[in-house]
Amino acid sequence: MTGYFERIHAGLSLNDIEIIDMHAHLGPYFNMHIPASDPAAMLRLMDRCGISKAVVSPNLGWDSDLVLANTMMLQVLAAFPGRFYGACAVNGNYPELSLDELDRCFRDKRVVLIKIHPSGTKCRLDDSRMGGIYEFAERRKSPVLSHTWLDGDLYGNIDLFASTAKNHPKIPWIMGHSGGPYGSWHAVELARQTPNIYLDITLSMCPARQIEFFVKEVGSERVLFGTDNPFIDPRPQVGRVGLADITDQDRINIFGANARRLVRFL
Amino acid sequence: MTKKLRFFDCNCSVGRTGHPHLFDIPDAAGLLQEMTTAGIEEAFVYHTVARDAHPPLGNALLMEEIKSQPRLHPVWVILPHHTGEMPPPHQLLPELKAQGVCAVRAHPTRTHHSFSLAEWCSGEIIAALEAARIPLILDTEIVSWDDVWSLLKSYPHLPLIMANCSYRHNRFLYPLFEKFRNIFVETSRFMGGGTIEDVVKHFGAHPILFGTNMPQYTGTAAVALIAYAEIEARDREAIAAGNLRRLVREMWP
Repeated sequence: MTGYFERIHAGLSLNDIEIIDMHAHLGPYFNMHIPASDPAAMLRLMDRCGISKAVVSPNLGWDSDLVLANTMMLQVLAAFPGRFYGACAVNGNYPELSLDELDRCFRDKRVVLIKIHPSGTKCRLDDSRMGGIYEFAERRKSPVLSHTWLDGDLYGNIDLFASTAKNHPKIPWIMGHSGGPYGSWHAVELARQTPNIYLDITLSMCPARQIEFFVKEVGSERVLFGTDNPFIDPRPQVGRVGLADITDQDRINIFGANARRLVRFL
Repeated sequence: MTKKLRFFDCNCSVGRTGHPHLFDIPDAAGLLQEMTTAGIEEAFVYHTVARDAHPPLGNALLMEEIKSQPRLHPVWVILPHHTGEMPPPHQLLPELKAQGVCAVRAHPTRTHHSFSLAEWCSGEIIAALEAARIPLILDTEIVSWDDVWSLLKSYPHLPLIMANCSYRHNRFLYPLFEKFRNIFVETSRFMGGGTIEDVVKHFGAHPILFGTNMPQYTGTAAVALIAYAEIEARDREAIAAGNLRRLVREMWP
């Protein structure tokens, strides 16, 4: 596991280390053009840099129809076994429907996460209608991935995320985007206080030295690789971790070992 | 084995800012360290004080900070001359040439430097930049796409670089790529899934310039975006450095 600088600069896939993308999406989206949004195109980008698996939740799962989103997700898992795994989209505005969707999706053992998007759904993380969803997560020991931002997010800011995680200590909580580009300092403070929080590196505005900072402050065991593919091209995220000034073991943890510890990939 | 890419970054800064994303990396030494970590050879650099405080002050600080740094090339932030804060074009342009300035940035709109890019306010300076083929860098987050279209139409020989253009902007950019050869986009946030390949397929590699927004952002992400792009090697090299070098060569016709 050496020579990443030379290999990334040469455009060579990192195929000697397992890379699992714990934060990916799927399909088109209303306010942007995504050239590589279908699963085959996403796989092509993943293969180019060495990502072996991605956990996907379709883009329309929070702004549009969660049932359609989950159906799309299940179809993709069936079509590309071993490459795509599922994050079941739920929405607190539809508590009963969300529980039905959890029952439906988790029948497929390749569905391994619950995905919530508080700002997209306009339903706060601590909304009482989310209770049944969290009970399901606790019962199934499923990690919950939530979109978070530092400020300007009334529904899912990282303080609200941390308090919700503290109230549900049996659930592994993945702090999507770790609060965004200005959120890193506060994200690590909250992660230190809350052992069931994992930091997600997914971002388009990637602060310098953020990977090194997360590893130093909370340990690489609590940092998860994610990309937002296909919103964001996954290859830059591989570059961030591959070229970060961290140890080989840190890279193993972030790229895939931590995901393996959280989730059973059949 | 693919030939090693040589990266030339069009979007870097030095200087302290009141709102760093994570770490305060204010000086040229810190920027150079970030460049080395990512494997980036050279960069266009502006000063954050010129952006966040006052252009003449920041431009002077820039020249002091990067003197004797051959990897760093100056970018000045400009204002229209009417208030006397910057000299009129017939004085400014020789100064830009004498100082080796490679591009200029403008931060119009009321919430930033409070001027208009329209002809009545900025026409003289933009016409002078066009005549000298000096690239003008604008921040996509603070100008309207209608203003960009007007600039491209009015100044067809002005190299216009859109910085901070995110993965959400393709629907604005593609019609401009279709109509104009003088618009460029840098890569620091231009990271939609498969977008580099799609732009190259439809418009060629020439509108894309390598950029990172270091030291606010890491340079490692943009490096991997281009190194892993599934495009011809010559297109990858053009994006990494060649397109920017060509713009520099074409200055001062």
